[in-house]
Amino acid sequence: MLQNRIFKRFTRNKTSLVGLLLVCFFAFIALFAPVLAPVDNARNPYQMPQSSYAIEPQTPSASHWFGTTEQQYDLYYGVVWGARLAFKIGITVTFFAFLIGLLVGSAAAYFGGKTDEVIMRLTDVVFAVPSLVLAMVIAAMLGPDIKNMMIALTAVAWPSYARLVRGDILSVKQRDFVTAARALGAGGPRIMLRHILPNSIYPSVVVASLDIGYIVLTAASLSFLGLGAQPGTADWGQLIAMARNWVLGTSGNTLAYWHTVFIPGGAIFFFVLGWNLLGDAFRDILDPRQG
Amino acid sequence: MNPIEIKNVYKTYTRKRFLSFGKREETPVLQDVSLCLKENHVLGLVGESGCGKTTLSKIILGLEKASSGQVIVDGKEISKLTKPAFKKLRRLMQVIFQDPYSSLDPRMNVGQIIGEPLDIHGLYKDKLSRRKILEELVKSVGLSPEHLTRYPHEFSGGQRQRIAIARALALDPKVLIADEPVSALDVSVQAQILNLLKEIKQKRRLSMLFVSHDFAVARFLCDEIAVMYKGRIMEYAPAEELFSNPQHPYTEALFSAVPVPDPVRQKKREAVSLTARPGMENHPCPFAPRCAYVCEACHTAPLLAQVRPGHFCACAALPFKNKKSSFAV
Repeated sequence: MLQNRIFKRFTRNKTSLVGLLLVCFFAFIALFAPVLAPVDNARNPYQMPQSSYAIEPQTPSASHWFGTTEQQYDLYYGVVWGARLAFKIGITVTFFAFLIGLLVGSAAAYFGGKTDEVIMRLTDVVFAVPSLVLAMVIAAMLGPDIKNMMIALTAVAWPSYARLVRGDILSVKQRDFVTAARALGAGGPRIMLRHILPNSIYPSVVVASLDIGYIVLTAASLSFLGLGAQPGTADWGQLIAMARNWVLGTSGNTLAYWHTVFIPGGAIFFFVLGWNLLGDAFRDILDPRQG
Repeated sequence: MNPIEIKNVYKTYTRKRFLSFGKREETPVLQDVSLCLKENHVLGLVGESGCGKTTLSKIILGLEKASSGQVIVDGKEISKLTKPAFKKLRRLMQVIFQDPYSSLDPRMNVGQIIGEPLDIHGLYKDKLSRRKILEELVKSVGLSPEHLTRYPHEFSGGQRQRIAIARALALDPKVLIADEPVSALDVSVQAQILNLLKEIKQKRRLSMLFVSHDFAVARFLCDEIAVMYKGRIMEYAPAEELFSNPQHPYTEALFSAVPVPDPVRQKKREAVSLTARPGMENHPCPFAPRCAYVCEACHTAPLLAQVRPGHFCACAALPFKNKKSSFAV
């Protein structure tokens, strides 16, 4: 019944279908990256192969379908494995941010009083600094590395979940079915796990689905600034960073090296667009105000 | 032994204001409330909204603590019980709420909702016997076993209230606390639910505390009625006695507001004004600002005193009150 409703909503709205298709498309690429772009030897698969050390990027050809970027890194390989890395970053960071936010937010709502006050002021501190700036500071302090970048992104992303979860729990806590459960003799853990959380988690799920795209975008920004993936890594932000010197093209032909920017840029664009449309669709489906 | 006895219960909400340096704002909600629910009786608790009816029922259920006074359920004072002992006592008294839309968990099906009390108290041997208990419960409230796998949003308000009643009955309680169980329902559905409650009460020999603001509903179901105003009991009498012989000015005023299903009589009636007069906030009688009978006799706080056999009333001006009331219900 619920599945049926979700399916109907999806097919009714064309944009959500586009979002689903985009995300599925990228998921397919990410899953089959070893088939689509085989790793030639047992080195780190996220390290892009280099055909030579010449500086000037080469336009797309039969041997390099998407051309090469600075220092002859294969763009096709970079985009395919970059999709895998994007999923890895987006899902891991969102998962941990969601988990931390859920634990912290429910602790604040459950204990209330001073605990609540301390936790919420802590989230305010994180909110007070622009998230990209804060992520940059943390990433710079930990050192440029993909793992450190993911830690920095998680540290910036969890407070919004904590806030959301706390607010939803507080409103559900007031409902009569929670009081009824208490009157029946249900204990704290049972009320929390059976009644409160199942009724307050969905808004956060929607935010999480919207967040995956946004996290990947922020990760790309950090990589572009040299605070994330290192040169040669199959990371979309890193690919754009390597295109920095070629954006203007040659004199008289500004689009001479277009592929170095547009191909990884397009990958980021469609990836984020897909998750946004999908998140919007989730929001519509899970909105209880619609029948 | 009376299932529920309430003795001199006070409840005050204190609120610490931000940056008030220890100053507290105190709001008295219940003041010296004493009541007694007799076995197999229905005690009505009537009064306008905000008078403390719901707070009192929550205190009885142990969902809130009284500031002082005793609540005795089945001979045991609830504030002195240990947690496991109180959990056991909960099986004796169950609650039905006003709003059947918020009292059922939307993500549980009917079987899970009604079965939850059984799960909590471990009241069945195996899945089969659980299923059997559930089927009997839904049948006893006029639903069918097929409904067990459905979700609350598939039901109407009246059916939802039936589900809530089935959940309350699952523990086979001795006392049912009904907090305005029909005021959120359509009038036609109200009658069905009231009949169901009456039938269940007789079949299971239940005692019931029935909170309501509707005198017609209270009259249909209750054996005794207590009228509350601003956290105090104003009048307490057997139902028929109260309706034929209201003593307290507040009860009279409430009766005058109940419409009579006879246009000729209804036109002749005059509602007693309940507009508060300013400048009387500190009067010892809480009802004085709105009372039509204030006189010199009212200089002390009124105490609940017996005015007729079994009929108690808290009004100091009672002997001086003009007895000719212009409205009969």
